[in-house]
Amino acid sequence: MIDHDRIEELIAARALGGIDPEDARALERESAEHGPDCIDCRRLMDEYDEIAGRLAFALAPAPVRAEMEDEILRRTLVDDGPAATSAAPPSEQSRSPAALDERRAARSARRAGVARGVAAVAAAFVLFAGGWVIGANLGEDTPLDLSAARVVSFDSQEGELAVAFEPGEPGVLILGTGLPSPGPGKVYEVWMIEGDTPTPGPCLRPGPDGSIVELVDAELGTTDTMAVTVEPEGCSLAPTSEPIAVADLA
Amino acid sequence: MMTDGPLVTQRRARSEPAREATVPPDPAELRDADLVRAMRRGDKDAFRGLFRRYAPTAQALAQRIVRQQFLAEEIVQEVFLAVWRNPTAHDPDRGSVKSWLMGMIHHRSVDVVRREEAQRRRAAEAIPDAIDLDDDPGVTVPEEIGLPEERKVVRSALAELPTEQRQILELMYFGGMSQSQISERLSVPLGTVKSRTLLGMRRMRTTLVGMER
Repeated sequence: MIDHDRIEELIAARALGGIDPEDARALERESAEHGPDCIDCRRLMDEYDEIAGRLAFALAPAPVRAEMEDEILRRTLVDDGPAATSAAPPSEQSRSPAALDERRAARSARRAGVARGVAAVAAAFVLFAGGWVIGANLGEDTPLDLSAARVVSFDSQEGELAVAFEPGEPGVLILGTGLPSPGPGKVYEVWMIEGDTPTPGPCLRPGPDGSIVELVDAELGTTDTMAVTVEPEGCSLAPTSEPIAVADLA
Repeated sequence: MMTDGPLVTQRRARSEPAREATVPPDPAELRDADLVRAMRRGDKDAFRGLFRRYAPTAQALAQRIVRQQFLAEEIVQEVFLAVWRNPTAHDPDRGSVKSWLMGMIHHRSVDVVRREEAQRRRAAEAIPDAIDLDDDPGVTVPEEIGLPEERKVVRSALAELPTEQRQILELMYFGGMSQSQISERLSVPLGTVKSRTLLGMRRMRTTLVGMER
């Protein structure tokens, strides 16, 4: 029978966040030796993680700004739910083969269209004017008046990004193509900058084909510049890296 | 920083329940799980419910570790935003919602402490105050039913630990210090720090999880 004392010692330190790098490597080695089917190892890890999480409740609760929950909800991309909404069980109707085929076709058309259309700002504008991007993604109630939309391209290091909006009105459409992955555990975060003050916008992750099509509930009236940085997953409240794309709206 | 190595990956790939059912389900945990399920459908009220229930503890934990209110707020925002965006990340087979949430707050706070040079210096210069286990934690922030009892249980479990074990657990968890940093700080051999960590955690496990090894 395999002795679990050593791995338990490492797992306990890891759960508390106090494991040193050398021991973290030792834990990986031990884990490999115990193998993927080590039920005791799994139970130890779950239980020590559980205990560590509960230790937080030894602290007296701290006041939280009343606005924080609204700020979090405002930071989500679209107003009708979390990004994981697609993971929710679909309705019977939407699960039907016809509906699935329809969605696949729309998705495929959207991706192909984005790849073609956002290669340049002018082309992007044609897409907006043509309406299929809006129709595919936003439905008929989009707040954007396409005929009045202003389209601005980002000066980007890789790939192409453009933003479309109607001055003075809420609703900003961000389109991207050829964008590399921001890396594991990272996202692209959009910033709306007025003077020296960046306001966090949405966090985006390109699709497998490097495309982005997102409607943002924001108004760019006082925004001088938009920028995109690479940030940790979960987003940042202030940029932590140099912009990889910048758009001058002034 | 926490490792997320092969063992974790292997564990995630498995589907059988991780814990033996030795205690009846906690009603508060069942309610938390319901909230997370509702969030998967985009239910904002469910998010607000979860946030109001746990954000004060999350804020307290982050603040305790990073020692700066604005940084703590940022961590709390980031974690709850990540939860709102991806509530499916919680695996009920692996642990409670509250531990999952606090685990993320803790990981991120420790990351911040270790990343920021100034924070590291602060951590090295000052041993965090011990937690006052006699303090009544429920008086400053209104809480939902169940959490004051949870605080009582956890604080009581910590209070029962021998002082030298509790000190190490607190430095590690609430101070964001590694075992080698604690060894250096307390002038105690590293092996002693490790053994006290294990003994303390085993005792907490016995008390909180109810499983005798």
